[in-house]
Amino acid sequence: MVSKRFLLKRLLLLVPVLFGVATLVFAILHLAPGDPARIIVGQRASAEQLQQVRTELGLNDPLWVQYVRFLTDAATFQFGDSYQIAKGTPVREVVSETLPVTIELALFGQFFGLALGIPLGVVSAVKQDTLTDHATRIGALTGISVPIYWSGPLLILFLSTYLGWFPASGRIGATIFLDNSWQLLGTELPLTGLVTVDTLLLGNVDAFLSAVTHLLLPSLVIGIYSMALISRMMRSSMLEVIRQDYIRTARAKGQGARITVLKHGFRNALIPVVTVVGIQFGSLLGGAVLTETVFGIAGIGTMLVEAIGATDYPLVQGTVLTFALLFTLVNLGVDVTYSYLDPRIEQ
Amino acid sequence: MSTDTDTDVDARSRGLVARLRASPFLSELLSNRLALAGLTIILAMLVTAVVARVTLSYDALTASRLGGTIPDRAPPGWIGPAATDQYLFGTDASARDIFRRSAYGAWLALKFGTVVVGVSTLAGVSLGIIAAYYGDVADNVVMRTMDVLLAFPSLLLALAIVAIFGNGLWKATIALIMVYTPRFARVVRGAALAVLEDEYIEATEALGASDPRVLIRHVFPNTLAPITVQSTLNFGLAIIDLAALSFLGFGASGAAPSWGLMLSRGVENGLLTGKWWMSFFPGMLLALTVLGFNLLGDGMRDALDPRMRDAVD
Repeated sequence: MVSKRFLLKRLLLLVPVLFGVATLVFAILHLAPGDPARIIVGQRASAEQLQQVRTELGLNDPLWVQYVRFLTDAATFQFGDSYQIAKGTPVREVVSETLPVTIELALFGQFFGLALGIPLGVVSAVKQDTLTDHATRIGALTGISVPIYWSGPLLILFLSTYLGWFPASGRIGATIFLDNSWQLLGTELPLTGLVTVDTLLLGNVDAFLSAVTHLLLPSLVIGIYSMALISRMMRSSMLEVIRQDYIRTARAKGQGARITVLKHGFRNALIPVVTVVGIQFGSLLGGAVLTETVFGIAGIGTMLVEAIGATDYPLVQGTVLTFALLFTLVNLGVDVTYSYLDPRIEQ
Repeated sequence: MSTDTDTDVDARSRGLVARLRASPFLSELLSNRLALAGLTIILAMLVTAVVARVTLSYDALTASRLGGTIPDRAPPGWIGPAATDQYLFGTDASARDIFRRSAYGAWLALKFGTVVVGVSTLAGVSLGIIAAYYGDVADNVVMRTMDVLLAFPSLLLALAIVAIFGNGLWKATIALIMVYTPRFARVVRGAALAVLEDEYIEATEALGASDPRVLIRHVFPNTLAPITVQSTLNFGLAIIDLAALSFLGFGASGAAPSWGLMLSRGVENGLLTGKWWMSFFPGMLLALTVLGFNLLGDGMRDALDPRMRDAVD
């Protein structure tokens, strides 16, 4: 059981962190070079126009007034309108449209990471110091050494351009998208924003399959990194567990090796892996930024990169804060899960 | 006199060799074939980097050679129709030699990687030890600040800082120092707290040792092992992240022979038309270097962790 006290303590610890995160995000706009008002009105605007925009944005107020206003706005996720990338659209809207794209990618990537990493780690531990073990370990180390922005383009070249097995970019086939756009189907907006879920909800199997084939390659590229980390953690955790007395007891009672490993070893060895899943979620999000860029997927990562390039500060603030919030919440979830699985951690 | 000194030196060096041999950490590390392979890769890259830095002219590497006799986007010499072995890795969209540029890329990666890891290790060690030793307010101020920085996924924090400071290799380096420092601070604080529990620290303090003396002579040496492992593993990550920033367009710029930038230009200028060599080779050297650091760091961690040594019965 997770005690209320632990949960409360963990939530209270979040307050200073979120406060610091918000301050850093506030600093982006005020420390970055360039006058935000000038960016909006353009170089040829008159001094009066510039002054007017400055007043509208509240840039003439004392810094602390601006800071307090920012904090209250950030609490309700109001960052104003995007300057450049989606000119005039509220940042909130841009984020709510692009965030599901990234979450879908990260979830698929995580799925590959777990589905491949856990069995590899178990096999590696059970066959410690054999050829299988060495090959798996070297494979895992190679997996975390290969940058996404190298493996991604090469996989596109060989699997998409040469062999034509996978589409090279985008989220769904262009013809399918045109035929089945949300408006034509009578809904104003996508239902969940997760294209695989939406196509299923709409009962369009062709669109669903197209979405999945578009997701496979990018999520595999992202998943390789998680797979490597998870299999390493699974291996060392499993090695520790199978040396425990209760494993020896189970074996002494005459239980078969395979059953002992699966029934007693595996479940207990999974506990530390939960932490790794949380920690590497950060690199998964970082990986999503790179993967989206490589595969031309319009997620929140691409948005951030484009916003920085175009000095679209409200959009930078909104996307950066979203990433930090997402990461913090996942870590909170991991801590709570961990203390549920292993109550000793609460001390 | 001179013979005396000689024997002294002899005795000392023999003592050193014996000490090295006796060190369970080193003998463990040296018997780990994967760690040795990693070390070999790193040394080979280091040699490549230094040779490239000394023998190649930066201006010649970055200047466009279009319009000359050299074909642009030419495949590597060993597969091209005009089998000239002059261009081992082929040429890029500006007819520059990818082999030479990639070799120089090793210099840039190791140089900036060293700066990132070196500075963030120093900063992290100082902050971590101070937080652990002084506790209370110092600990809270330092570690809560680190918590804020750790609340961002690493590459995204680097991007946020780049948004403030602007683009460029040095600015990207500063951003990554801010990203990596908290990791070291956290590890060192943990290690230092464990050391501070020991009675000999109390004894040293009772004998009247000053704070700096306790910290530098007694606490710091005991945190060295975890720091070394952490630095080695983070070296690989720093090189990947630095190249990622260049790949996204916020690090190296212009025609700089940085691996990340060469990769992104290679993808832009030739990948979809099948000119794979322009992005393949810089990325291969990058991945190989990172693999070297990961192999070595992994071996070090195993050598430090006695639980991993014995085989299962």
